[in-house]
Amino acid sequence: MEQIIQELKEHLIEELNLEEITPEDIDAEAPLFGDGLGLDSIDALEIILILEKNYGVKLSNSAEAKPVFYSVKTLAEYIVNNRK
Amino acid sequence: MGLYVSNITSDSQVVTDVKVLVPDAGVRRRMSRVIRMAVSTAVECVGGIEGIDGLDAIITATGYGCLADSERFLRNVISDKEDLLNPTPFIQSTFNTVGGQIALLRHNHCYNMTYVNRIHSFEDALLDAFMRAEDGEGGRMLVGAFDERTDSQYEIMKRMGLWRKHDCGEGSVFVLLTSQKEDSSIAEVLEIDFPSDSIGEQDIAQRYGCSDDDVILYNVCCTMEIYPTISASVFAQAVEKIKKGASKVLVYNEMWGMTPTVVILGCIV
Repeated sequence: MEQIIQELKEHLIEELNLEEITPEDIDAEAPLFGDGLGLDSIDALEIILILEKNYGVKLSNSAEAKPVFYSVKTLAEYIVNNRK
Repeated sequence: MGLYVSNITSDSQVVTDVKVLVPDAGVRRRMSRVIRMAVSTAVECVGGIEGIDGLDAIITATGYGCLADSERFLRNVISDKEDLLNPTPFIQSTFNTVGGQIALLRHNHCYNMTYVNRIHSFEDALLDAFMRAEDGEGGRMLVGAFDERTDSQYEIMKRMGLWRKHDCGEGSVFVLLTSQKEDSSIAEVLEIDFPSDSIGEQDIAQRYGCSDDDVILYNVCCTMEIYPTISASVFAQAVEKIKKGASKVLVYNEMWGMTPTVVILGCIV
């Protein structure tokens, strides 16, 4: 789990071009959208691609997106539970 | 009513850090290289981000648009087999990204137009501003041009033989125009013309009423590096000539087999 959290932080920084932010700056339990990193709906699409391309994980049910996308930790938990 | 140059800035003259010009990191992180170059030039031209507030029109011009992002998007289409495409390069690849980004920095909902017409793009944007001034809708208008160079574009155009006499360039130029003469006015746009055919060097002066003291700038002679909107850079050189005392400067823009354009600048009287 810790390794996936670290990888996810690195993917987010790289793919979302988060300037002057290091993996250590990202609180794994802090919200990704609104407060916290302040991501938006375009970033949500980018995160879907990160999950599919790097972990083969697809969000089959859009209703579950909100809790899954809450934080880096919830994303990592979803990957662990759904990775093929 | 007329069209007066109040300020002009090229990307090479931008000295302020983009983090100062565009303070919002959330906005900056989606700006690719050409967008940063063009938006920085625009913000510097209007004297800082607050200068966007008073604009009545934002008119941009580009030959290629955000080329690197277009290439990135197309490469993703191929490598990912038309699936799992990142939205950001697609959003940024549109030609009006720069004009929109300038407006979004201060939520300025004024007239916003982008012209994409190869080597005529800058002149089309300038003509739009000229006509708005004539129609009494001018006010304070920001007109700019930008194009970026990419390695693949360089290679493709090299194969076409376009770099035999010139090198492949890139750049951005933004000009702040007003429809009323102001204390800050440094030159007046007297005429914008789109001749249907090439004009020989001997005939230009006679056709446009230039005297021996007037200056004629040919875009392909003024620079070693060219790109579709290079005439905006030559326009900046013309403004400098006016600043240094020339009373009339004609910019003749013709290259790559397209019909020419003529822009005539005059000193403030």
